[in-house]
Amino acid sequence: MTVTIAKEKWAGKVVEMVIGQGPNAIKVGGENTLPFLRFEGEIPNEPVVALEVWDTEPPDWPDVLASAFDGVMGDPVAWAMRCVDYGADLVCLRLAGAHPDNKDASPAEAAATARAVAGAVNIPLMVIGCGIDEKDAEVLPAAGEALAGKNALLGCATINNYKAVTTACVLHGHSVIATSPLDINLAKQLNILINEMDLPINRIAMDPLVGALGYGIEYAYSIMERTRLGALTGDKMLAMPVVCFVGQETWKSREAKTADSDEWGAQAHRAVLWEVITATSLVQAGGSVLVLRHPESMKQLKNHITAMIKEAGGK
Amino acid sequence: MRFFPGGRQVVIGEYESLIKAMTKANIPIVASCGGEGVCSRCKVLIKEGQVKSLSTGKLTGEEQEQGYVLACRSFPESHLVVEVSEESKLGVHQVVLGEGGGNLKGRADGSKPGDSILSGSNGLCAGGSGVPLFRKLCLVMPEPDINDSEDDLGRLVRVIRSVTGIKHLQTNLDVLRTLPQVLRQSGWKVTVSLTGDGRYQAVEITEVEPGHTAGQYYGLAVDIGTTSVVAQLVDLENGRVVGIKGTYNKQAAFGDDVISRIIFASEGGLGELQKAIVDTINELIEELAKEQKIKPVDIRAVVCAGNTTMSHLFLGIDPTFIRIEPYTPATNSIPAVRAGHAGLNTHPLALIRCLPGIGSYVGGDITAGVLITGMAFSGKLTLFIDIGTNGEIVLGNQEWLISCACSAGPAFEGGGLRHGMRAMRGAIEHIKIASGGADVEYKTVGGAPPVGICGSGLIDCVAGLYRAGIIDRGGNFITAGSTPRLRESIEGMEFVVSWSGESGGRVDITISEAEVKNLIRSKAAVYAGIRCMLQTVGLPAEAIDRIIIAGGFGQYINVRDAVNIGLLPDVPVEKYSYVGNSSVKGAQTALISGRAWEEIDEIIHKMTYMELSAGSTFMDEFVSALFIPHTDLNLFPSAQS
Repeated sequence: MTVTIAKEKWAGKVVEMVIGQGPNAIKVGGENTLPFLRFEGEIPNEPVVALEVWDTEPPDWPDVLASAFDGVMGDPVAWAMRCVDYGADLVCLRLAGAHPDNKDASPAEAAATARAVAGAVNIPLMVIGCGIDEKDAEVLPAAGEALAGKNALLGCATINNYKAVTTACVLHGHSVIATSPLDINLAKQLNILINEMDLPINRIAMDPLVGALGYGIEYAYSIMERTRLGALTGDKMLAMPVVCFVGQETWKSREAKTADSDEWGAQAHRAVLWEVITATSLVQAGGSVLVLRHPESMKQLKNHITAMIKEAGGK
Repeated sequence: MRFFPGGRQVVIGEYESLIKAMTKANIPIVASCGGEGVCSRCKVLIKEGQVKSLSTGKLTGEEQEQGYVLACRSFPESHLVVEVSEESKLGVHQVVLGEGGGNLKGRADGSKPGDSILSGSNGLCAGGSGVPLFRKLCLVMPEPDINDSEDDLGRLVRVIRSVTGIKHLQTNLDVLRTLPQVLRQSGWKVTVSLTGDGRYQAVEITEVEPGHTAGQYYGLAVDIGTTSVVAQLVDLENGRVVGIKGTYNKQAAFGDDVISRIIFASEGGLGELQKAIVDTINELIEELAKEQKIKPVDIRAVVCAGNTTMSHLFLGIDPTFIRIEPYTPATNSIPAVRAGHAGLNTHPLALIRCLPGIGSYVGGDITAGVLITGMAFSGKLTLFIDIGTNGEIVLGNQEWLISCACSAGPAFEGGGLRHGMRAMRGAIEHIKIASGGADVEYKTVGGAPPVGICGSGLIDCVAGLYRAGIIDRGGNFITAGSTPRLRESIEGMEFVVSWSGESGGRVDITISEAEVKNLIRSKAAVYAGIRCMLQTVGLPAEAIDRIIIAGGFGQYINVRDAVNIGLLPDVPVEKYSYVGNSSVKGAQTALISGRAWEEIDEIIHKMTYMELSAGSTFMDEFVSALFIPHTDLNLFPSAQS
């Protein structure tokens, strides 16, 4: 007896977003099916991986992570070039130095850093603020202006500062990352508010504020799944590609930070696995841009994505 | 201590707060937080003497310098002279007495909302086999002789039975003790008082009077609202309403909402709360009696409709576990009690019946509403919404009923808002805001100088602020390109609706960002409750045949505006109607119609109570409704145009 393959007929699709410009531009999104289910729809673009670069030396990265960027962590330009060498699809520049408790770097300094990094690498750029809404409302527009026309991905816009960040994206030709705390409705509301400021939906990416493995990943997973199902069933305000800040969450976990132990095994192995498993799970849930920290994690994640795409019948 | 204005004096101990003193002196005061020292509504001015204050809440430095203190957190240290400002006093606000709608905008047809299956048959003991709560019978009894030597009580029962058909009759010792003399002295011509509990065939002979003295006897229908109390005096001989009075619930001195009152009761305040509501009802009885020139003792039956908490507090039943998971009241169905026992100033043997509810937050007032709308016996799918503090919603038809309480809060009744007020003289009831917010046009109740904003005005205001581009869909003020009306205050950004001096108003009337968000939460709770119920039964909003709005605020609502902000579902305006105070109407029906009690039994049996705090559906719906009009804009096609 022949088995009829059950195929879902989806009415909607994830919008396709272009990041970067010219020959170096990459595309994400565009799927009209669930992750890797190519037999019932199109997957024009694979998930992409970014590595983080900080404008200031991170104070508390464990050795297993910091050693991968030995000698470049004080220099964002050199650090970004190292990321290109490792094979990152994008560089995610984090303006941590703008934090009032850190260096409280000025918008002008932030802009200079962004310009320098952009000038040194030939892959698209994400620029992330320090996480303080008011400060990001100043530094992100400045960085956006410095990168005018480069079609970067600026973030993160929250319900409190989306107007300033969105305006910068509209003025200088960038896309925005809209952040909301693990709630499908809040995510959708922010998308509507941003879209109503005349930024088209193919220039909005969603950040659901994922949790790492063991620290709330299941909430992120189901929210992302609902987002994808929303997009596929025709909800335009959920049809945006999803960005997951995996490295930022993973390297906060005790499992990634604790040294070798009999109970948990070798840290180097365990920490990378923690990041890889978080990322691969979120790829299954529909993540499009995975922001990691460790190059080894990135390598393993890319292998996984390639294998999954091949399994699904190649491009 | 002495109070101004009014000059009332009262003696208190040093451990009694000023708010307690004011309760003693019968000066009504606003204490939204239940005396926790956080709402700052019970502000009073110390003119003479010393007090010790535990906290100052949100009083400004300037106010403290002038001598203002919080009455709930202040204790006397000497003789005192205290001034109570108008804004701290509970005003005698307009109470929706029970008349039907009529001013609900948008009702196109001439239909009368609240047409009940009972209307037209509201006579005593109308239809069915039920018995009224109280009635008098004038009897002429056959005298006993040697061939008919039945005992006196048996003879009386036999006659009553032959007249009324009632099978089971009981009596009490007082009646028995005097029965032989009364029967004989009156020449076997007596007037008998029969008291039933409405639902069963058990009726008591409570009094036997000589001669035919029926005279007048009355019943009382009471709506015990969290905020307002309404009483109707009903002539039980013909079922006609002869008088109606309403006032605020004196329990408001101990908290605005049921939760703060339950907490107050659990902490030893049950007696005070009971006294407050009994006093409130007794005052209404006194006024009605005076106006109708009757004696309170002529009131022989009482039916109360209130939410579950109100019913508990009225009878002094411990309400503690109503608010503690899994939310179990002492009883949903309170047995009949004697007025004398409950402290009501009526005939001491008068029966009090509280209409039964079905859950902690869906009580007898909602049963009353379902009863008088007739929705439980109609083929039309009806949505019944009580837009009040508790926000009860019932959905269903003759086959099924489902209900929930969505805790909308008192915002639409003006509670918790600095310039919020009930729809009384001077309340801004309609507002038009020009694009950009530079110009504001408004209309006040009675055309009086503006003193605050009532529910309909608040709905207009939120809709207007959004349309004018002053707030975004999330209720955040957009500061860029602002007008002088948008300004910074100690509690964040605020928008000036009316300047002091304008149209004779004495203060700037404002609405703050926090207040806009408070209103959005209230409207979201109501809409989310509706969505949850529709989801549970798997029906779209389009399936609803009619939407009946009850509650004090519903009278003034503009359905179009309410749909525009996402408070009510976007269905044709013609489907909406306003029923008025359905709680007191239901109580009145139950007072005069025995059959009503059979219907109530059926309603209670049919109705399912949905606990919104269980599961994630309500929270999900709530968050998606925290937007103007809604996160899913497709649910509001007409608001988009």
